[in-house]
Amino acid sequence: MTATLEETGEEALQRPPAEVRHADELAALRAADDDPRPPGWQLSLRAARRFIVGDERAGVSRKFVGNVSLVERALVTLATNRGLMLVGEPGTAKSLLSELIAAAVSGSSALTVQGGAATTEDQIKYSWNYALLVSEGPSARSLVPAPMLRGMAEGRIVRFEEITRCPLEVQDCLLSLLSDRVITIPELDGSQGLVFARQGFNVIATANTRDRGVNEMSAALKRRFNFETVLPIADFDTELGLVEAEAAALLRQSGVEPPPRRDVLEVLVGTFRELRGTAAQGERMSTVMSTAEAVSVAHAVGVRAWFLRGEPGSAADVVACLAGTAAKDSPEDLARLRRFLAQEAPRRSGPQWQALHEARHLLAD
Amino acid sequence: MPAAASQRPAAPARPAPQDPPPPAVFLGVRHHSPACARLVAHVIRTLRPAFVLVEGPADMNDRLDELLLGHQLPVAVFSHYRDEQRVATSWTPLCDYSPEWIALREGRASGAEVRFVDLPAWHPALADRTDRCANRYADAEARYAEATRRLCERLGVDSADALWDGLFEVTEPDTDPEELRARLDAYFDLVRGDAEADAGDRAREAYMASWVRAALARAGDRPVLVVTGGFHQPALRALSAQPGAAAAPADWPAVPEPPSGALGGSFLVPYSFRQLDAFAGYQSGMPSPGYYQRLWETGPTAAGQGLLRAVTERLRARGIPLSTADLIAARSLSEGLARLRGHPYETRVDVLDGLAGALISDDLDRPLPWTTRGVLGAGTHPVVVEMVAACTGEAVGRLHPDTPLPPLVHDVAAHLARLGLADATAPVTLDLTKDGDLARSRTLHRLRVLGVPGFTRVSGPADGADPVFTEVWEPRPAAAAREAALIEAGAYGARLDEAAAALLGERVRAAGPEVGTLAGLLFDTVLCGAGPLCSELLETLAARVGRVGDLGPLGEALAAALGLWRHDRVFGVARDRLLGAVVGGAADRVFWLAEGLHGAPGADLAALRALASARDALRHAPDLLSTTPETAAEAAAAIGCELSQICKSLIFAADGVPVLVLMDGASRVDVERVRAELGAGKVTRADAAVVRETTGYAIGGVPPFGHRTRTRVLADRSLLAHDVVWAAAGTPYTVFPVEPKELVAHAGATLVDVREQHG
Repeated sequence: MTATLEETGEEALQRPPAEVRHADELAALRAADDDPRPPGWQLSLRAARRFIVGDERAGVSRKFVGNVSLVERALVTLATNRGLMLVGEPGTAKSLLSELIAAAVSGSSALTVQGGAATTEDQIKYSWNYALLVSEGPSARSLVPAPMLRGMAEGRIVRFEEITRCPLEVQDCLLSLLSDRVITIPELDGSQGLVFARQGFNVIATANTRDRGVNEMSAALKRRFNFETVLPIADFDTELGLVEAEAAALLRQSGVEPPPRRDVLEVLVGTFRELRGTAAQGERMSTVMSTAEAVSVAHAVGVRAWFLRGEPGSAADVVACLAGTAAKDSPEDLARLRRFLAQEAPRRSGPQWQALHEARHLLAD
Repeated sequence: MPAAASQRPAAPARPAPQDPPPPAVFLGVRHHSPACARLVAHVIRTLRPAFVLVEGPADMNDRLDELLLGHQLPVAVFSHYRDEQRVATSWTPLCDYSPEWIALREGRASGAEVRFVDLPAWHPALADRTDRCANRYADAEARYAEATRRLCERLGVDSADALWDGLFEVTEPDTDPEELRARLDAYFDLVRGDAEADAGDRAREAYMASWVRAALARAGDRPVLVVTGGFHQPALRALSAQPGAAAAPADWPAVPEPPSGALGGSFLVPYSFRQLDAFAGYQSGMPSPGYYQRLWETGPTAAGQGLLRAVTERLRARGIPLSTADLIAARSLSEGLARLRGHPYETRVDVLDGLAGALISDDLDRPLPWTTRGVLGAGTHPVVVEMVAACTGEAVGRLHPDTPLPPLVHDVAAHLARLGLADATAPVTLDLTKDGDLARSRTLHRLRVLGVPGFTRVSGPADGADPVFTEVWEPRPAAAAREAALIEAGAYGARLDEAAAALLGERVRAAGPEVGTLAGLLFDTVLCGAGPLCSELLETLAARVGRVGDLGPLGEALAAALGLWRHDRVFGVARDRLLGAVVGGAADRVFWLAEGLHGAPGADLAALRALASARDALRHAPDLLSTTPETAAEAAAAIGCELSQICKSLIFAADGVPVLVLMDGASRVDVERVRAELGAGKVTRADAAVVRETTGYAIGGVPPFGHRTRTRVLADRSLLAHDVVWAAAGTPYTVFPVEPKELVAHAGATLVDVREQHG
């Protein structure tokens, strides 16, 4: 299920995991870390916090934009006997946060279960190598450990992505595992049949509020987690800066020469924030207007303008690319977007807002 | 700090005689900070100053004894001012752990002469601040915002309050007070950094410095202690050390007098933690007084535990289950957070974070309130609401019985006597169309809003559209309770009208985005005749109706505003421009929201009612709306019913005889056709009073049958075009579905064609 990184080689990877991307910082933090570490942890809580929220003086970059206290609560939770549940809208960097935490705490973010309608208990705990099972019978050799079993045996953080998309009965197989901290393998004899969690094991689950939601989780499972809500970025400038940096990096990768224009990005991010409906309830788009989505639109805008016309993206490109984002599958969303461009955009000051307004006809039906 | 008085150490060594006379000692504090209060007490005990100068209104100097009568804190010095140009009110709140209070109390106890040295509250230097109901001790917080934000970012803390707690309130048990003082000085130097002192600050600082110089001249070689907000401290230090300061006259500076013709004064009023708290009010002070009171009384460990206990009790009282395991998880989380953040004890935010992490098993819509600043929004998680309330605490101050009464008590007594209401024993009936009675009604409504017992309204108009012009009030003798309530209400103003307006204003700001609440407040405001507040409220409403997400409350607000806009003659707000903005905004919003509704089977009554109000707005005030009838029709379709499916019940007067006409919602009645149908001489729309008299219902809620009197009923044939129509059920907020034929039968109506025909 998880490829070993040493074999793959870093260069060839599209997106190496956090512990590889930030290997230098992790090593430096580990070397300078003299605060007490919780048992089984690779870093102390303070060093882990510095790794995630950054520390300019120590040359550690900021990797997660959001409340510091959220990161602190998350880390302390993992040092207790409750799991950590990150909930929020799609695209609020829940998975990124869980990846960073796992990399900091366990030195590896690779033990990951991807939740979905077809997830089974086998993919969470263990399964068998059936050729060996048939020839040798159940044995340690024929056992194929899944992330939970490995995490417990090795004392590492296990990430459970999109846990609410799993069937409820599959979710509930975590119950005994989280409270008793042991997996029983009835097929194996004696001590081999009991795998106890070593220090350092814990679970970070992420759940998406747009999916079936955490309300359907069983109360018993909820009790075993501390919940943290990851909210969209509250500050306009922070979000703009993030979109600018991420989009510029993506555009470089795609071979687009000019960086995105800041004034165009301002209009783009402003539109996203407005449609996200941070202020008004009941007005939400059914499509997700996340920061991540804004980055991908900014990327598309740059690619489109550069390869079609050889220039940086304009407000008109934004409109053209928005149609595919904001109105993926809902005519109501498209209507709302059209209404925004027709009524709201001209009320804002600035030439790019006017350009956005004038380009509204590019929004195909 | 209860132990302070008994534990006073022996007098410290005086400076040796050859030392130069000691300059003033400046102590910069944060208002309402227990750590600063403790430091003030320490400095007074060790320094034994001859004079303690405190940032507080200098016009209270003659009445400092009044402050020390033995009140139960919190109390506030309430100052009011009125001249032809402006009206100003302000508060100087004091609680047990206010550094200013401790300076006053400990200074007196140590034999020092204590003086308030700041300008009076009415002075333009204080009054020119942008916020209308100013809290004297809230000024610096806003100025620091930018500097503290940067500091928070660098130190990895979410909010200025969390930063402050970690730096000053919850420190190592053996922290040397002098070290804390040095740290405070460094902090205030840092945050004052780029904050610009405005003209008002400079005037106040110059005035305070003149007191410092006078005190120095009087003190000779004895020390002088100056306790002010940290913001002013660097400037004061510089101003007081100016050359020639030593030669300053020993006379105290004059206290500015209000200009002639102006009214002003300061009074003590009881205050409450709720009023003090930044989360509840829009002015920031130090938040969570309930927590800091515990911190002050019992220290950080007990304060943290007390907070935990208070939250637990509140949640259990509200029926929110809370297991022992949850509490253990919360405790271990907050302990871990305190260690991670390097706090020797759990701070307020550590405890709150621990509770939030362990107790909330839902996704939140907004950040936890202690990570930001300001008012709790609608939809805040109930557990969070209880946590914040537990921090606020419920303490309410009480004045010593010998305290002079606030001016409001006298104002109300004079008002009631002048209006002949003072000794009323029988029910009072007021005709609102008469000036004298309207004034009486306003006075009684103001008392009602302020929660002063004495009169209860038995009947009167229920909302803006209600065409009732008489009110009946029943007197309830409760003299003692009335005076207590008035003293409490005295905190809101010196005059009854001001106090009622200030309280309503507070409610408006605390109402959050709930438009339904605001609509209720709007009617109260109209009843109280609070004109200027009415404008403020209407502006708020106009700004908010555009953001409401729920059709129900929006419809209520629209109905109330439209009713006032169309019919209100009594209170004089009909056709008011701002009211029109509310009507227009709300109606546009209804159509906008309606367009977003889709797919729900059947019709939602609240939505229908909102749509009906919006239709009325479109009909009677088309100029206020940006929505056109065409878009309105589309929106109606989305609710699952056509505009024409809403049955209107209209009362006309045919030669003075009332007639009921049932008409579909999309058409207008052609009065000429009604006249022809009835063979009458003259047909007009009946006025609101006639409608009420005939049907027993107010305009907007008239049902198609079940009226008080039997009238002739005409039903327009267009109603038959539908399978089902919706009619009002007696109030503006309810409708019911009915088959048109059944409707006609029940109403005993004659089928006619009286709608306006197009083309």
